[in-house]
Amino acid sequence: MAPLVQVENLEKRFDEVRALKQVSFDVEAGEWIAIMGPSGSGKTTLINILGGLDHPTSGRVTVDGMDIAELGERELTRYRSDKIGFVFQQFHLVSYLTAVENVMLAQYFHSITDETEAVESLRRVGMGDRLDHVPAQLSGGEQQRVAIARALINNPKLILADEPTGNLDEANEAIILNLFRDLHSSGHTILVVTHSQAIGNLADRRVELEHGRLARISVPSVAREQV
Amino acid sequence: MATRSMFFRIIWKLLGASRGRLALALVALSSGAAVSSALLNVNLDAERKLTQEFRTLGANIVIAPPSGGSDAALADSSVMDGIAGLRARQIIAAAPFLYVAANSGTQPVILAGTWFDQVAKMNSWWKIDGSWVASRESHLRCLVGSAAARQLGLAIGSPVELRSGDHTISLTVAGIVTAGGAEDSQIFTDLSVAQDLAGLSGRVSLVQLSVSGSSSDIEALTNRLASALPGLDVRPVRQIAAAEGTILGRIRGLIFWTIALILALSMLGVLASMAALAMERRRDVGLMKALGGPVSRIMRLFLVEAGALGILGGTIGFVVGMLLARWMGSSVFGVAISPRPIVFPLTIILTVAVALLGAFPLRLLGRVRPAEILRGE
Repeated sequence: MAPLVQVENLEKRFDEVRALKQVSFDVEAGEWIAIMGPSGSGKTTLINILGGLDHPTSGRVTVDGMDIAELGERELTRYRSDKIGFVFQQFHLVSYLTAVENVMLAQYFHSITDETEAVESLRRVGMGDRLDHVPAQLSGGEQQRVAIARALINNPKLILADEPTGNLDEANEAIILNLFRDLHSSGHTILVVTHSQAIGNLADRRVELEHGRLARISVPSVAREQV
Repeated sequence: MATRSMFFRIIWKLLGASRGRLALALVALSSGAAVSSALLNVNLDAERKLTQEFRTLGANIVIAPPSGGSDAALADSSVMDGIAGLRARQIIAAAPFLYVAANSGTQPVILAGTWFDQVAKMNSWWKIDGSWVASRESHLRCLVGSAAARQLGLAIGSPVELRSGDHTISLTVAGIVTAGGAEDSQIFTDLSVAQDLAGLSGRVSLVQLSVSGSSSDIEALTNRLASALPGLDVRPVRQIAAAEGTILGRIRGLIFWTIALILALSMLGVLASMAALAMERRRDVGLMKALGGPVSRIMRLFLVEAGALGILGGTIGFVVGMLLARWMGSSVFGVAISPRPIVFPLTIILTVAVALLGAFPLRLLGRVRPAEILRGE
């Protein structure tokens, strides 16, 4: 069976800057990958290309059998809506929509809205009692949980998280990591960009970038149960 | 269905979230709509009001025997009956005239016999020193043109004796007329008095009509009159009809360009608010695109929001505009302008169009690149 994600000789240039240089790796369905590396190593650029937010300069990126480097803007929009669930460091919730409406927004752009399903998704992340709160009424951890519920609502093939605990305190980080662990256990494929060794240790594999190059792919030595 | 309800849910939240900026845009739209709807109403009513005003400025149709004809006078009763028989509501006044060459002492003077009640309606701009002869039955009183009064040495209350052939009549001067034309050299008396003096009972020289409506309305009535009165020349007074048309055209042009200017200013107000709003919404649009929102669907949200704002602004503007039109009517025309229902949809269409054009900065949000926005650029 072909890997869910295949990255081959991926290259991305911003004018004269080579953000990614000949990066290649695969991700199997159900795998949890931590993308690590110092700032400016190309982690976010990689995840943006995987998420269809940016175009590669050259190389091939296949997700669920689709070569996303070949997709036009319209197809990429559809790809993001159908295949990808995003979780951002800054949460990126719409400030004037309630928690449940933020989740329904992803449904709205995907197909049809179903409030019951959106409520259920929020309950799964422990936000059942905050359905009608707007982001300003929620803590950072709560906002990130809403963002995770939004990312899951359309049953995406791939969950892409960019520093999901970067703005959270330890207690909230633990809650979010537990959620990711649950998602992984239930078979979701997760790619997380992180600086955190703790998250890196939870992943099945770590893809480490340095100056846009793939430095190494490793299997964490620390057992997940210890985190 | 659920998706449509989500669409309106988002619109509702958008309207609530940007109350301050949208309120500014709403003020700009309502103001533009108020002035536009008032002017549109005035424009639609202007023709009616102005032609009413014009009708006090003299005749615009003249009925006379064919030029070169041997008989200088017409049959009075048949012409006036023919005119009345048309039952044309456009006819504001119809005044028969019989002109008689008479003498006052040794001085020759033209005596015009007419129906004073009709002449008064048609020529309200005449300046009268003394008083009008308001009734057709005032056989012993006359109005004297200011030049004739000077020439004959007549004043208000003076007796004047007029002779034509073997007939003589004695009248009293009720008022002195200053009209600024040939009327100033004439003496006006009741039609029957002039007919008796000239020995032309039941005859008139011509009939002057004051008719309301546009040039085409006047032309149409002229044709009807010509059919109803065979053997007579029925002619619109072209200079007056053309002058009325020119004035109406200029007023319409002025109103059109004023509306265009007001709406352009409103649009600038909306543009300013929407440009600020677009900056605020860049992040949301970037996020919506990242979530898989097609540009067309995201833009539809903003355009419907702008359209809703246009409908609200247009409705408020229409109500205020009707009050404004009423005030303008009473201060400009001296009468209340009646609200015209057609102005409401016109105002809404114009205001929605202005709102959509003013929402141009929001449409530029379609070009937002989500990766840049989400990076915080």
